[in-house]
Amino acid sequence: MTPLPMTVISGYLGAGKTTLVNRLLAEDHGLRLMILVNDFGAINIDADLLQSRTEDTIALQNGCVCCTMGADLFMALGDALDRRPRPDHLVVEASGVADPASIARAAIAEPEMSYAGIVTLVDGLNAPGLLADDLIAAQVGQQISAADLVLVTKTDRIDPGLGGHFARLKARGPRVLDDGPLAPLLFGTIPLPKGPQPAAHPAYAAWSHESARQVSRAALVDKLSARPEGLYRLKGFVLTDDGGCEVQVVGRYVEARRAETDRTRLVGLGPADRVSRDQIEAWWSA
Amino acid sequence: MSSITVFSAQTILTMDPSRPRATHVAVRDGRILAVGGADCADQWGEVTHDDSLKDTVLMPGFVEGHAHMMAGAMWTFAYAGYHDRIDPDGKLHKGMTDIEAVVARLSAQAAALPPGAPLIGWGFDPIFLSSERLNRHHLDRIAADRPVAIMFSNFHLMCVNSAALAMAGYGRDTNAEGVVKGADGEPTGELQEMAAMFPVMRRVGMDFRGLSQTASSIRAYADVCRLAGVTTVTDLFSTMEEEDLGTALAATGADDFCLRIVPALGAIGGSPDEIAAKARRLAARATDKLRLGAVKLMTDGSIQGWTARVKWPGYVGGQPNGIWNTPPETIFALCEAMQREGIQMHIHVNGDEASDVSLAALEAAARKHPWPDARHVLQHCQMMGPDQFRRAAALGACTNIFANHIWYFGDQHVALTIGEDRASRMDAVRSALDEGVRVAIHSDAPVTPMAPLFTAWAAVNRRTMSGRCLGPEQRITVEEALRLITLGAAYTLKLDAEIGSIETGKRADFAILGADPTMVDPAHLKDVPVLGTVFGGRLNLS
Ligand SMILES: [Zn+2]
Repeated sequence: MTPLPMTVISGYLGAGKTTLVNRLLAEDHGLRLMILVNDFGAINIDADLLQSRTEDTIALQNGCVCCTMGADLFMALGDALDRRPRPDHLVVEASGVADPASIARAAIAEPEMSYAGIVTLVDGLNAPGLLADDLIAAQVGQQISAADLVLVTKTDRIDPGLGGHFARLKARGPRVLDDGPLAPLLFGTIPLPKGPQPAAHPAYAAWSHESARQVSRAALVDKLSARPEGLYRLKGFVLTDDGGCEVQVVGRYVEARRAETDRTRLVGLGPADRVSRDQIEAWWSA
Repeated sequence: MSSITVFSAQTILTMDPSRPRATHVAVRDGRILAVGGADCADQWGEVTHDDSLKDTVLMPGFVEGHAHMMAGAMWTFAYAGYHDRIDPDGKLHKGMTDIEAVVARLSAQAAALPPGAPLIGWGFDPIFLSSERLNRHHLDRIAADRPVAIMFSNFHLMCVNSAALAMAGYGRDTNAEGVVKGADGEPTGELQEMAAMFPVMRRVGMDFRGLSQTASSIRAYADVCRLAGVTTVTDLFSTMEEEDLGTALAATGADDFCLRIVPALGAIGGSPDEIAAKARRLAARATDKLRLGAVKLMTDGSIQGWTARVKWPGYVGGQPNGIWNTPPETIFALCEAMQREGIQMHIHVNGDEASDVSLAALEAAARKHPWPDARHVLQHCQMMGPDQFRRAAALGACTNIFANHIWYFGDQHVALTIGEDRASRMDAVRSALDEGVRVAIHSDAPVTPMAPLFTAWAAVNRRTMSGRCLGPEQRITVEEALRLITLGAAYTLKLDAEIGSIETGKRADFAILGADPTMVDPAHLKDVPVLGTVFGGRLNLS
């Protein structure tokens, strides 16, 4: 069975996590998502999308389900893994004070799961105040530092004060959350190349590569660490002088493990305002 | 007409100021009809004398104001801890003071299991062992042909054997934080934090929290309580769903179930209003032996885990301040909603910043929705000083203080967490009483074993494991301590009109003791034998 990818949605109270969950449930991505939330409070599903609803589960016509996770997040993760058919992708809405890395690490440790990123939402208006509040600054800052992708909500520009906090916290790719589709970025829905270039929404720069060229294993490690910062996702297989290698990059997370392959096949994706296809190509072919 | 039974005892310590001592107590319909001498109930008609307890000492049934249902079900798994513990069957498990003892004990238990079944242990505490760290090679000696997994007492670490590592697919190539590796590049068997423990736990079926809702774990909890002389106990962070209620009502409703349980619903998984509504729905189903209706709020973590929120000057080792498990603004929102809805709260506060924020939240709620006898309870209160106790007293809030910590963790607090000066004023029961707060003391079982007489001993003597007296000024008298484990705790549960003392009209709940705790050397208070309980007039001997 293919491992279940898990994305963690993090952010302090009021950062817009539930709004994002509503968007992911309604977006036309063709995936059967399972979304674990703390409570159904602000989850709203169009009546014509709704299939059924119980005290702890909302099932949608499009195959997605949204469940409350109760007192024990890890018990809920176990239930998600035991679910048949298994969902295509698991999304966990972390609590407002949770360290998202402490949840996302489970996807690295658990053989039946795969890591699919931490997305931290930041309220562009309130965050500077929170990050100056001794009571809570450390926990809010940790959510930003741990993120593979920082999305700013409730504003259309990042003010310099917040930008300063982001620099100090080494925030990865902070950008304003726009109206574009999120599934390509969050769930990596673009397939590996089999011929023509994959098409992507204009909000994203997509890149793909296929060849029989071999690279040295050491050079691959160096290359991955020198990747363009705006390249959010990279996945596929690389031929090396030390055998095949499966590569997966999500934000700051890099994984490379031995795997059978006869060719190098890669697909990469990043927000178009952060990276271009030419930049990715230049990086890979350098 | 119902029958009247008059129990005789060597002494009855009543906790009733009008009649502190007696020799006889008359019971009718499960309640106390009269207290005094042999003739105390003669006015009420024909009586039956029961002299089976004549050589014992009776006290009001003890009330444990902070414990968890898991304290019974833990024993489904093998004990691997440093301290002596008694299981629900009354069997003593000697503490294991080195790794060889752990290996020997668990090897014997593994040998009794069916082939291939996992051996799961709990309670291992490395801070008391000076030898090398527990690793998979030790556990491979317990069993090589079945998974072995030992949860540490803090629930943040575990150690597993090679077979369990293999089940989870952990090996040289594993690159997951929390899967500790040795100099040879192989996993040592130590797993840190849930994300790394989870793959093993789900494969060996290790589920401590899920144990709470079954009938057998409820009965095991009652056994733990009987052995400790406890007749009313809390379950503070109940995850009881309405569908679990049937099991709990059936188990506690049995005639031979001799315990009153006061669950407090964990305040998570909904908005404050939704949580309040759920608490109210549960309250509507309450029975005498299952007192539903209160809620439990988490705020910070633990001091010994450096996750408690502490005020300046912080931790002596320079560790960063701890974490909020509930954000301060949510603590305020929950306090306001519960106060408005008339729902009593138990609020976990370990560090002094957590108690400060919680008091501020209670003060704000009290201004908006006055409720003079709300009796919200601050739980643990480990770093509260006279200033915070005065605020609690002004609010009418109670403090349930974690007295057992002085013995179990006092030396660690001196050396590693908050240092000598603040450790010597931790769990400041004397200050709390002097400032006029309503006080109880507790075990937080299974964190420390349930035994109210031990808890009283800890508050009276303030001994640590190294033998020193930590903060002698904060000691209290035996009489004060006995009151805290009976009427004091009953008050925090709003049950002081029904239990907590032996006086006419109250429920006939007694602890049966082998000696008079006011007559023994206070240094031996913890050693007074507990022979069983009387619950609603029914004998429940150990
Ligand atoms: Zn507790």
